Amino acid sequence: MRKVGIVGIGHTVFGNLSEFDLVDIMSFASADALDDAGIRKERKIVDQVFVANVGAGMLNHQTAIASSLVSRIDLEPAMAETVENGPASGASALKCGYTAIAAGLADVVMVTGGEVMRAVTGWKATDFVATLLHPEAEYNYGLTLPAFAAMFTRLYMERYGLTEEELAMVAVKDHDNGIKNPYAHVPYTCTLEGIYGSSDAQVVNNLIADPLRLYNMCPVSDGAASLILCALDSAKMKHFKKKPPVVIRGIGAATDTHCIHHREDPLELKAVRLSAERAYKMAGLGPKDISFAELHDAFVILELAISEEVGFFKKGKSRDAVVQGLTRIGGKLPINTSGGLKAKGHPLGATGVSQVFELVKQLRGEAEEGRQVGNPIHGMAVNFGGFGNNVVTTICSKE
Amino acid sequence: MIDTNVVDFEKYRPARLEVYAYKCPECGTLHYPAPMICKDCSARRDPSGVLFSSWEKVPLGGKCTLLSWTRVYALPEGFDARYLLFGIVEFENGLRASGRLLVEEPKIGMKLVSKVGVVREKIGEDVYGFMFDRS
Repeated sequence: MRKVGIVGIGHTVFGNLSEFDLVDIMSFASADALDDAGIRKERKIVDQVFVANVGAGMLNHQTAIASSLVSRIDLEPAMAETVENGPASGASALKCGYTAIAAGLADVVMVTGGEVMRAVTGWKATDFVATLLHPEAEYNYGLTLPAFAAMFTRLYMERYGLTEEELAMVAVKDHDNGIKNPYAHVPYTCTLEGIYGSSDAQVVNNLIADPLRLYNMCPVSDGAASLILCALDSAKMKHFKKKPPVVIRGIGAATDTHCIHHREDPLELKAVRLSAERAYKMAGLGPKDISFAELHDAFVILELAISEEVGFFKKGKSRDAVVQGLTRIGGKLPINTSGGLKAKGHPLGATGVSQVFELVKQLRGEAEEGRQVGNPIHGMAVNFGGFGNNVVTTICSKE
Repeated sequence: MIDTNVVDFEKYRPARLEVYAYKCPECGTLHYPAPMICKDCSARRDPSGVLFSSWEKVPLGGKCTLLSWTRVYALPEGFDARYLLFGIVEFENGLRASGRLLVEEPKIGMKLVSKVGVVREKIGEDVYGFMFDRS
């Protein structure tokens, strides 16, 4: 199989960008990636474009956005397709790009993910995300993703003794990282006292889905991110001399039951474990080899649960790592150096691409002051779709 | 003016208030909601009953145990309430389901009984589903 490198990266700020056009936002991130790769003038060497998006049809009344994006940045006649895989769309689009190159269908691929969710009210956005649940057995009831995350958290607390204070500590850590990330949607710090146990916390950190509070979940965000991939054995690599490529060393994906109640153990995130095992196998690596990770913390409980499923910590023990500071920047295994979905934000289609953007920044040594991990070799990103029913894990390494 | 003597009101009566599990005709496994292939014996279901035999609809409900629950304050569009409670339960036959919870102070492991009621109001259509209450 051909080796694939990431040779260009681009990103918009995440936040409320609802006054902008979705394809403009994605085009901006894509142009950033072309510039970073140094091929804006030679951009026609891009053979194929994969666009990750979930809600254009429902939220923005736009369809066929891959064709639109290609035209907006003058990339015709590149092949172009849109990939929709719920919140895991970004990493799925990257997987499609990797596969296209590995199979010899393309040498240079652009992967761009983007979303404009704040074009609609919070009620509508919540309803939109809930449509990924089972229509008859879940969605019809008014169940939402926060509702399932809350029931997951309650069970986790019951089984492993996790406390609300420990959950709040994950959020504090993520915001400490997010404030140093120029792309973050919520670029400010929060103190533990401010969000847990104080009278202020009762007001600021209100219940959303008991036991989950505002600071236990990510914001609804707009934004885009983009990557340029190239086959390392391709003659076209001569165009990418600006920066050394970051190698995609492993990609794994897996699915689990659509209905959450079908899972024998509701606390087992089987698709996370399997996708990670597949990525490790392809990369020839294991959990101990990973220098840092971006884990899909749409709800902070997921940062803990995913870190256990991918083998970083034993079941129920990730909270000890948080308390001991092991997952902070400067700790033994930094997690969500970007601020994670919690602080950076979560524009669905952009998230998986943005996670790998962060892996590349860290592996290049280009993270902003105070965010750079010391000499990382291998980074892992877990992009979590549905409530764990479709998960993609990517491992990137220094060449 | 409608002649009420000739209107067949039975025709307009709402469907029986039940939620159904589907029984595989080959191996007898109960499924909720209905799949297209039986996970145990791989038999196919055909909703039209033309190509493959229909699966028997078996009313699902009765006594159950609460596995987890939440009280949601941020509800999606279409729900006009300060909060709603939701739970996942396990019935005595081992099947599990999600639904609305009618108990104000739930506890994991508590015994409940299912009812069927309107869980979502749409224009021109009420959607029925599980509601779990104290047994």
